[in-house]
Amino acid sequence: MATDEPDESVRARVVRLLSGPRSRLGVTAGPSAAWILTLLVAPLAFMIAVSFFEVSSLTYQIIYEPTLNNYRSLFDGGGLIWQTPFVTALWLSYVIATVTTVLCLALAFPLAYLLARKGGQLFKIVIFFVLLPFFTMYLVRAYSWVLMFGPGGVINSTLMSWGLIDAPLGIFNYGIPAIIVGLAHAYFPYMLLTLYASLDGLDFSIIEAARDLGASRVEVLRDHVVPLTLPGIIGGSLFVFVPSVGAFITPTFLGQGKVQMIGMLIESRVAGSYSIGHASAASMFVLVSIVGAMILAFRYLSIEDLGGA
Amino acid sequence: MSRNDSAQSNRHVNRRKFIAGAGAAGTIALAGCSGSGGNGGNGDGGDGNGGDGGTMGGDGTTTINIITWEEYAEMQENIESTLDGVELNITPSTSSTEMFSQWSAGQDAQYDIAVPNNNLVPRFMDAGLVAPVNNDMVNNFGSMYDRFQSFVDNQFTEDGDAYGVPIRFGWYGYSYDSRSVPDHEPSYDILFEEDYVDASLDGEIIMYDEAAKSVPAAALYLGMDDAMSGARMTFTEDQLTEIQELLIEQKPRLQGYIAPDPTFIQEFRQGNFLVGHSGRNETVQMRSEGDDWVEFVAPSEGALAWYETAVVSAASENQETAWEVINEFITPQNGAALAEAGFSPSTNPNVADELTEEQNELYGRIDPSRLEGMYSIKDIASDVEEAYISTWEEVKAA
Repeated sequence: MATDEPDESVRARVVRLLSGPRSRLGVTAGPSAAWILTLLVAPLAFMIAVSFFEVSSLTYQIIYEPTLNNYRSLFDGGGLIWQTPFVTALWLSYVIATVTTVLCLALAFPLAYLLARKGGQLFKIVIFFVLLPFFTMYLVRAYSWVLMFGPGGVINSTLMSWGLIDAPLGIFNYGIPAIIVGLAHAYFPYMLLTLYASLDGLDFSIIEAARDLGASRVEVLRDHVVPLTLPGIIGGSLFVFVPSVGAFITPTFLGQGKVQMIGMLIESRVAGSYSIGHASAASMFVLVSIVGAMILAFRYLSIEDLGGA
Repeated sequence: MSRNDSAQSNRHVNRRKFIAGAGAAGTIALAGCSGSGGNGGNGDGGDGNGGDGGTMGGDGTTTINIITWEEYAEMQENIESTLDGVELNITPSTSSTEMFSQWSAGQDAQYDIAVPNNNLVPRFMDAGLVAPVNNDMVNNFGSMYDRFQSFVDNQFTEDGDAYGVPIRFGWYGYSYDSRSVPDHEPSYDILFEEDYVDASLDGEIIMYDEAAKSVPAAALYLGMDDAMSGARMTFTEDQLTEIQELLIEQKPRLQGYIAPDPTFIQEFRQGNFLVGHSGRNETVQMRSEGDDWVEFVAPSEGALAWYETAVVSAASENQETAWEVINEFITPQNGAALAEAGFSPSTNPNVADELTEEQNELYGRIDPSRLEGMYSIKDIASDVEEAYISTWEEVKAA
């Protein structure tokens, strides 16, 4: 005679199946793991693999014969290694990313300190204005700086119309300063929020005690505030430095083609001649150097530290 | 079997099941992702995986799948109403390289027609991806400007068979702000020599941000016409060195390098430069929008011409219909619609009959004698490609 037993048995099996530790892990971490594997690990593995193969210039197809030619060609150019376009672009990228990081830190630290001390309504207002540009696309934000800079841009035009200058100032032309401004604008909030999270956990009575005991403001900053918020400083710096090294859109818009950062060099290899092997090899240098920077950084902080001191 | 063995065995079974389940879930997820990537496949012939190029629908309709520039959609309605039982499925693309890499990676069976720039057509031919032109179907071929028929002979004709049909064209020269730059004999000298005109141009010049445009411009200035005369562009090592030195020497005089048309137009209007190495289209667009201070000239050393060329996939099952569609691309009526949409003239001069006088002035009939001094843009010969790319990278890095 047919009963409900088979149904119950199915239900029980499903419940039992989902109750196991592996099933729980599969249901909870599975989707995100699949996402990461498919969209991060797999493309990365492909890129690493392609960097060791050549691509036929005739058919644009990968020739599956392992080679180091892609890596070797990065340093070709007839001159000295550090004068090759690849090394020049890589070095320039590090310099621009470093200056951008220092600029963001210098601008964000006092503001984060103020917010941590005052808090309340001020915090909400400042955070609103800092995050306001995030409501627009990155592309639009980068493009807005194109209108600001340039000989006929808003900055030079305004200064000339006010009679402050007779001719456009070179400092407001496109180039490295414009790129640094654009990148700093784009990544400033990451630095500010990371620093705020770190400073918000700071016990300010320590600072008052140090001051009471005669420490100057500089000494307090150097001996107490900076060491205690070091995880936030390193974390914020990583959030700015890493994307700045590989930046493409901002330098493309604001460099006016005269400045070549590593992301642009890689893109031009793919778009111009479909040299994905060469581009992958160049990307590997960026990847390895960034991973190296992160390993170095995580010697001084843990993931938990990024959330506060 | 001991109890421990049994437990271990169960664990193994569970692990296998788990891995199998995870694998199945992953496969389903991947299938879901890839399923949305297909193109075409309209009609009954579509198999849900993108479909084959040129499919026959249940009602006898033939769908022709095309990968091309977005303005070609302007002709779709008219072509579909002209050719009975033909539907066009147009996939817009922004790059000839992308078209080639897609076909080369196996998608040639998903498309019937591609319309790359002329310099990429030899690559399609070398890779065996394209079919020869069916002259019976393309009866407008003979209406084209003679210059383009000779370009076809020179660039992509093999054993007497042509492999592509030029559709529309344009050329690169330079444009200048006539309010600040006086009239002069058109020459690349203005880009490379100080004091060529009576105006200060330091920091007021823009070059094209692409090796394929700027390197040939430098080569023509240096008198290396021979490099452009074969089926592919080629240079000796010494010539590349000379070009590199010239472009590096020029760099301090430049405002920068620009590639996208909208950026060029916006910055020209913003007053960021006075002379710009550019395509004719940008200038035509600016003039049609009221910027009559912009002048475009073709340098006396020779302008670089580009022309989009329609090719039919060798894997297409509907090659005859595909050539019929291509023939429609260069009819006066469709050619006019395309010229209007993209500010570029058609390769068929009869298109002028469908345009107003003002439109003809901008992108209609072109005096054939103007085409005689043009060099078609060509792919770089594979044996010097690496040196050529390196030359450009050295210039950009300098």
